[in-house]
Amino acid sequence: MRLPLAWLRTYIDLPDDVDAIAEKLSMLGFPVESIERKPTISGVVVGRITALEKHPNADRLQVCTIEIGASKALTIATAATNVAVGQTIPVAQIGAVLPHITIAPRKMRGVESEGMLCSAEELALPAEWFEDGIMQLDETLPLGTDVVTAFGLCEPILEVEITSNRADAMSVLGIARELAAAYGTTLRSPSLENPGSEAAPTEHAPQIELRSSDCTRFVAQRIEGVRVAPAPSAIRIRLAQAGQRPIDALVDISNFVMLEIGQPLHFYDADAIPHAHLIVRDAAPGERLTTIDERELELDARALVIADENGVQGLAGIKGGAIGEIRASTTALLIEGATFVGARIRRTSARFALRTEASARHERTLPPALADAGVARAASLLATLGARAFAPVVVGDAIPQATPIALNSLSVKRLLGIEASPDSIAFHLRALGCEVAVEGEQLAVRPPWWRRDLTQSVDLIEEYARLEGYERIPESLPCVPATEVSSARYRREREAAHLLEALGYREVLTYSLVGESLLGALAKGGLDERSRSVEVANPLSEEQHYLRASLEAGLLAYLARRDERAAIFEIGHAFSRGESTVLETPTIALALATESIEEPTWQDRGFMQIKRDTFALLARLTGRSISAVSGEHRFLHPGICAILSIDGRPVGVVGRLHPYLAQSFELARPIYLAALDADALPDYVAPTYTPPSKFPATYRDLALVLAPDIEAAAVERIAREAVGADCVGIRVFDEYRGAQVGADKKSLAVRITLQSPN
Amino acid sequence: MSALQPQLDEIARRLRDAADAVNDSAELEELRVRFLGRSGEVTLVRRGIGALPPAERPDAGKLINDAVAQMEMVLDAASARIARGALDEELQRRIDVTFPAPDAALGSIHPVRRIIEEIAETFERLGFATVLGAEVEPSYYTFDALNIPADHPAREGFDSFFITPELLLRPHTSPMQIRTMQQHRPPVAILAPGRCYRRDAVDARHLFQFHQVEGLLVAEGINFGHLKGALAHLSRTLFGPDQRVRFRPSFFPFTEPSAEVDTTCPKCKGSGASCSMCGGSGWIEIGGAGMVHPNVLREVGYDPAEVSGWAFGVGVERIALARYEIDDIRRLIESEPDFLRQLQ
Repeated sequence: MRLPLAWLRTYIDLPDDVDAIAEKLSMLGFPVESIERKPTISGVVVGRITALEKHPNADRLQVCTIEIGASKALTIATAATNVAVGQTIPVAQIGAVLPHITIAPRKMRGVESEGMLCSAEELALPAEWFEDGIMQLDETLPLGTDVVTAFGLCEPILEVEITSNRADAMSVLGIARELAAAYGTTLRSPSLENPGSEAAPTEHAPQIELRSSDCTRFVAQRIEGVRVAPAPSAIRIRLAQAGQRPIDALVDISNFVMLEIGQPLHFYDADAIPHAHLIVRDAAPGERLTTIDERELELDARALVIADENGVQGLAGIKGGAIGEIRASTTALLIEGATFVGARIRRTSARFALRTEASARHERTLPPALADAGVARAASLLATLGARAFAPVVVGDAIPQATPIALNSLSVKRLLGIEASPDSIAFHLRALGCEVAVEGEQLAVRPPWWRRDLTQSVDLIEEYARLEGYERIPESLPCVPATEVSSARYRREREAAHLLEALGYREVLTYSLVGESLLGALAKGGLDERSRSVEVANPLSEEQHYLRASLEAGLLAYLARRDERAAIFEIGHAFSRGESTVLETPTIALALATESIEEPTWQDRGFMQIKRDTFALLARLTGRSISAVSGEHRFLHPGICAILSIDGRPVGVVGRLHPYLAQSFELARPIYLAALDADALPDYVAPTYTPPSKFPATYRDLALVLAPDIEAAAVERIAREAVGADCVGIRVFDEYRGAQVGADKKSLAVRITLQSPN
Repeated sequence: MSALQPQLDEIARRLRDAADAVNDSAELEELRVRFLGRSGEVTLVRRGIGALPPAERPDAGKLINDAVAQMEMVLDAASARIARGALDEELQRRIDVTFPAPDAALGSIHPVRRIIEEIAETFERLGFATVLGAEVEPSYYTFDALNIPADHPAREGFDSFFITPELLLRPHTSPMQIRTMQQHRPPVAILAPGRCYRRDAVDARHLFQFHQVEGLLVAEGINFGHLKGALAHLSRTLFGPDQRVRFRPSFFPFTEPSAEVDTTCPKCKGSGASCSMCGGSGWIEIGGAGMVHPNVLREVGYDPAEVSGWAFGVGVERIALARYEIDDIRRLIESEPDFLRQLQ
């Protein structure tokens, strides 16, 4: 929220130093995200053009005589075209400092010019929101008034973040209230008494009908004798400083009240509402609304609308419609100030992607009493412009008296860790507008009407802590009692990462959300990952359309970015579609990019390397023995792929990248992958110690000539069974193919180690 | 005195002279054989005992044995001298120790994991357990149980990726609070690190996936001061002993009182002067924290009158950026080899 410091200062005395104020706000829970500092401007006063004549030597210049109060009138030459006798305008005198120039006496085509008339831009206001040319001021302003101080033109603007619980702080007055409590100073609140007491004539009296309980209060008021003209300078400048474009007095007052006290209002042209009859109801299916900014909306019963007898006038709490809007001819107004159930407004605003200043306030659920205050404030401002306010008509529940909240001062200490006397608690809560009754340690606290977020004792404890200052609470380390929660999964993941680091792998991170570029590359390599991937309903871009179904794909994309040797891993979750839910698999994935080497087709050194590393990892993580059988996996070469299992349960795969995928990812090097399902890994079993046998071990090496499809694992299994109990080690350690064993044979060398245990 | 002694002395003298002249162990061995071997000089003398007069015979054996012992000492001394000579030669070797050694084949841990580990270790020393959870969570665990009912405006702050209306990618690690408390009676002291997701447009400061570490302590007598102490302790572990923390009031539906937590900017040490890291404030924000809201405690069946607790969530990437002075958050996920090498 944009918060002009000058506006804030109208309600409360504050230090000069804006940084100190920003710090105070931050420490109250309203972080100041930025401070927009204004250029220094000085020497600009209110003047009136009393005479105007053509410049003798220049067609495009005029020479003005300008009264500025006590001192003598100034002669100023100007090129502006919107000047006229009688106008009240800002005048930069000799010596004045403006954002880009300092005013010095100068001759303009022979005429001595004693200053400059200012446009909005020269006063650090947005030029496009004000008159083209010289800015116009209220004629009621005393001549000679310093314009800069009167409107706070050099005061910075704060951008303040308001947390979603603070409906009451979405206004200049709301923030002023907080600062008054924090500084312990007085708040100069504008009067919130409604000036209208006489009931409107029957034919104009507002008739309000609430057909939905989502409207909690509706205040309507007839105002007559209004005129569509520029608003007073103070209002126009305040709005501009707050980032709201000034339009005309009526629209501006409605916006001014919303920004000032937080109640959004809607002004209808009273003549456009038959019988002054407004209805709050659910929209009928198919009903249409053209908004003020000319958007066509098709509504249904989910939308809450304000309607008249002929149809929808506006989306409740969000935006008005074009039909009832103020026109140049408007002379009588029907003011609407209402409060709604915030959730309803929020849903509708989200559905139509219509975020407005009004919806931002209403969706936090405004306190019903604010509707009365807002309408009253608008009526007062209109009355100062000469309008006639009739008595407001109020519909809705009576304003509920807040029930007192019981608060024990000991519970404050219990939660905060500092001594808090009942009196100090009462002091802070009263500063925030609460009524507090103290009885011993017990307090009964009635929050003010604008603090509907205070409903239980812990809310009050937070308020106490906020005003007391979080910095007052001393730091201490807790003594943590023993708990029964296990860290096993985290420990395993951590250990896996460290083992892989020791094995020479670098940990990388890749995106868990993937899109067309990755899935397309996989599809080109013959892999349809889209059908198994979980879809994201509301991605920000097409590249976030799916949850990754594997970690392998991300690692391939990583390797494809550069052609070099690499050993990498990632530990993360892979997601796939389940029956009715999402299956999530914590995965440890390894990838290896090696050098191409000459080797026979029945050998693969790269595979052996990643198999070695994966076995080492699994053995250390589980303390168990790992077995591998040839198998298939969608990412891997069908002839160079092993399924790994522990105690008969599959835990992962290891192998060489499928050549189709290597081609589609343009990976020229040999690539090897391993993927392990971390949740499938059995618990670690601690080893037990066996003392060395007193008998020496011996071994025999055998060279077996075999059919080429007989696997080493089979040889080892058969050898182990055949040798029996004294076999303490079996390992196939060499494979040979070639002329010596014949074309359709291979030779496996196996070492059998024998040792008697006792 | 027999004639034997001078004869032995003479042999010993010659052995000593020869031994002094010998410079390698093979020659020394030859000497040993020549004098003390099976047909060496001393053996020949010993064989001559029978030819001595009977009166001298008894002493002759002893004289010879003494002489042999002496000669063996001479030979041993020579052997020791030769052996050391070889070591002295070894001591003359010189290599260029500045010649670069090949790099070890170690890999590396990602900086994000390293930060998580440091946080986990800090809290594990205090008695916390570290738990991991799912990244796709039902909205009950993400919002409802955390005192964020449907239509609560705070849901918008957690701009989340949805799979279905009821299932989403967790926007914070707080679901683990609920899951842990539902499974365990108090006391509970956990740390929950993990990946989270929010619909943030990617730029130098934002990613749509990031890591958060959640901390939760619920027991009897836990207060806000403990929260401040724990996070100050953490901040000092991560950034150094002079680190301070600042708690600013804030709003999270699942904690009250709530706070945003800042720590002294590690780059400018809090001085702020035109610091690029903290933007001149002297502080960097590391996360949010607060006392667990009584509604949350009630939701998991804990009694807020009996136990109290705190929770915090810190952004790992944010800490990594400050800690390693990383200029762009995207470098963490790009994981370029050079980046990983520099931060290993």
